[in-house]
Amino acid sequence: MNDAITLTSVCKSFGETKAVADMDLQIPKGALCGFLGPNGAGKSTTIRMIMSIIHADKGKVDVLGTNALAAKDRIGYLPEERGVYRKMKVGAFIKYIANLKGLRGSSLNKSIDDWLDRIDLPNVKKKRCEELSKGMQQKVQFLSAIIHDPELIILDEPFSGLDPLNTQVIGGIIEELHASGKTILFSTHVLHQAEEVCDRIVMIDKGCIVIDDEIVSIRKKFDPRIVQVEPVDETTDFSKFSGIRKQNAMDKDGNIDLFLEDNTEPITVIQEIASAIPVRSIQILKPTLTEIFINQVECNQGNEAAEETRELLTHG
Amino acid sequence: MGKIFTVAWREFRDTALTKAFLFGAVIMPIFMIGLFIIVLPLLDTEDEPLQGTVAIIAPDDVVTELKVLYDSGDNAIQEQLQKLPDIVKNDPMAKMVLPRATEAEIEIEVFDSSQLEELKKQVQDGDFLACILIPKGIVKNLDSKELLEVFIPIEFSPDHTNFITSNVEKAVVNARLKRQGHDPNQVRSLLKRPRAHAMRIQEDGEVAADNKLARTLLPMAFLLLLWIAAFTSGNYLLTTTIEEKSNKVIEVLLSAISPMQLLSGKILGQAGVSAVILAMYGFAAIVGLIAFAMMDLVTFSQLGLFLVYFVMGYFMIATMMVAVGSAVSELSDAQSLMGPMMLIMMVPFMLWPILTEHPQGIVAVISSYIPPLIPFVMIIRITATTEPIMMWEILLSVVLGYLSVFCMVWMAARIFRIGILLQGKPPNIFQLIHWIRQG
Repeated sequence: MNDAITLTSVCKSFGETKAVADMDLQIPKGALCGFLGPNGAGKSTTIRMIMSIIHADKGKVDVLGTNALAAKDRIGYLPEERGVYRKMKVGAFIKYIANLKGLRGSSLNKSIDDWLDRIDLPNVKKKRCEELSKGMQQKVQFLSAIIHDPELIILDEPFSGLDPLNTQVIGGIIEELHASGKTILFSTHVLHQAEEVCDRIVMIDKGCIVIDDEIVSIRKKFDPRIVQVEPVDETTDFSKFSGIRKQNAMDKDGNIDLFLEDNTEPITVIQEIASAIPVRSIQILKPTLTEIFINQVECNQGNEAAEETRELLTHG
Repeated sequence: MGKIFTVAWREFRDTALTKAFLFGAVIMPIFMIGLFIIVLPLLDTEDEPLQGTVAIIAPDDVVTELKVLYDSGDNAIQEQLQKLPDIVKNDPMAKMVLPRATEAEIEIEVFDSSQLEELKKQVQDGDFLACILIPKGIVKNLDSKELLEVFIPIEFSPDHTNFITSNVEKAVVNARLKRQGHDPNQVRSLLKRPRAHAMRIQEDGEVAADNKLARTLLPMAFLLLLWIAAFTSGNYLLTTTIEEKSNKVIEVLLSAISPMQLLSGKILGQAGVSAVILAMYGFAAIVGLIAFAMMDLVTFSQLGLFLVYFVMGYFMIATMMVAVGSAVSELSDAQSLMGPMMLIMMVPFMLWPILTEHPQGIVAVISSYIPPLIPFVMIIRITATTEPIMMWEILLSVVLGYLSVFCMVWMAARIFRIGILLQGKPPNIFQLIHWIRQG
């Protein structure tokens, strides 16, 4: 089996609320997959079902060829609602979680020391968890999720509450773990974070998958066919160039978006413009995941739902 | 199983190996026993012998009687104390509860009633030990409303006061009897009630003395021991479960172990805590029994059965506590669910007088088979009864009790599985029942 996670027709409701509706999902082994969607989309519920913390009302959940209960020791999990034993010492806490994950032996202490150094938390091993800042506690929790070297790592909003520096540290470790062959599924409602690190994206909204593909394919599929140019002469008229059907007014940064005709190659337009007039910059505009996501919601559920989603994504 | 023990060990270590626990449950009882042992000999210090002169305003015959009584001192008490076995006489704790004889060397000087005020001053100045005023009417007229007054200095000890006053009262009675032509000693002998010794005839025909006090207090002691050991650790279980929920560590734990493993580990860990508490208080109780030479009141079979019912009682309370803990997010929310539970668990205390008086009665028998009450009621019955409880009754209660434990663990697991991840408004009792059916 090449999939680390397989969900087949999975449903979950809480009372009248349908949290996950008939979801089919495959996460291939070795993928670094972003699980995206606005708050309340059903990400955490799906993850909890994957972890067998809650059970699906209907459907089948397969994790590492079995279920999460049987494969718990091979999975690392950082839940969205995370916490520590406040009175417990940091080293003892990580060791306790590692023990529960089946990791024992004399090398564990050294491994904890090494990892604490890696996440810029030296000298905290003997401190009580309550003595650490919230960000530091979060890094300790991240460490307790990966200390047992799991095959599959599930991180629910791993960057929430972290400052940019610590986001970079944790992001770097996630990329390293991915490079070493681990399968990583991480959820976030901040789409650009996923855009930076993921090679695969699953977007969900209201319990349904909206997009599920590799990021390169998504970009290709949702290419807006826009060339963005920053001309030196702000009065330049781009309608004289062939293959451009529409141009936007200049934005506050001095950029103008040029919308291409269907059969026009962007590179041809770029070459033509660059050879004809002086420009500060010119590029093919890449679609943002936020825009793609909103477009998809609009296609599937209409304009009102898209506006609602835009609101959720931009204001959390 | 390894994961269950990992959880159990953390639960035990973080509860029992903490300064708060060591101080509250271990050091405090040891300290109190130590204090008891240290303070008792200090309390044993006897008063100085009572020496001096007592001023008295009284009829002549009363004065004569009083002289005789003061001269003989506390002979009667001395004689009774001498009859006691050495182990009791020398035991500091026993000495606490036994009457003490006062050594006295008292002279009596008779005065006129007109000198009363002057005599009071002299008592105050220490010239006399006391001033006694016995109006004539008190001796003559049995319905007299006159007061028999004894004036003593402010610093006079209670033992000495008692010695002076009790002998004065006795002297008045002796004088009254003699005036009626009776011999006071003879009358006193006639009025002395013989003590009836209840002897219970055993099934094998042997007879054994009945110890009513022990039959009443011993069950309460066992009940309290069971209650304290089971409820203290049950409370820890409640608070640690709520803590794990409120500090959100629960989901991390559930990513590593199943809810059933977590539940089992927690109950097992706190069982260890309960055993430590039981050992501490049990040890203190045994020390107490040995000190009072009452160890023969407890039999090995009672101790064995106590352990059987202790395990049963602990699991019953632990499952209830962990179910409540998993259902709420705040300790204050637990109170509404704990209320009815505590009410049920107070029933053995309310039934204690009935159960000790009639350990084989209908109330005792019926309440022995009502699940949450079984261990508590049975331990009262076993220690209170004068005739052995039938073996089938014990077996039935044990089987019923452990079946109930099994059901309670099953129900608690179902509540735990649902409740442990829920936040917000605590459920009511009907929702809990729904969870049990749903879980």
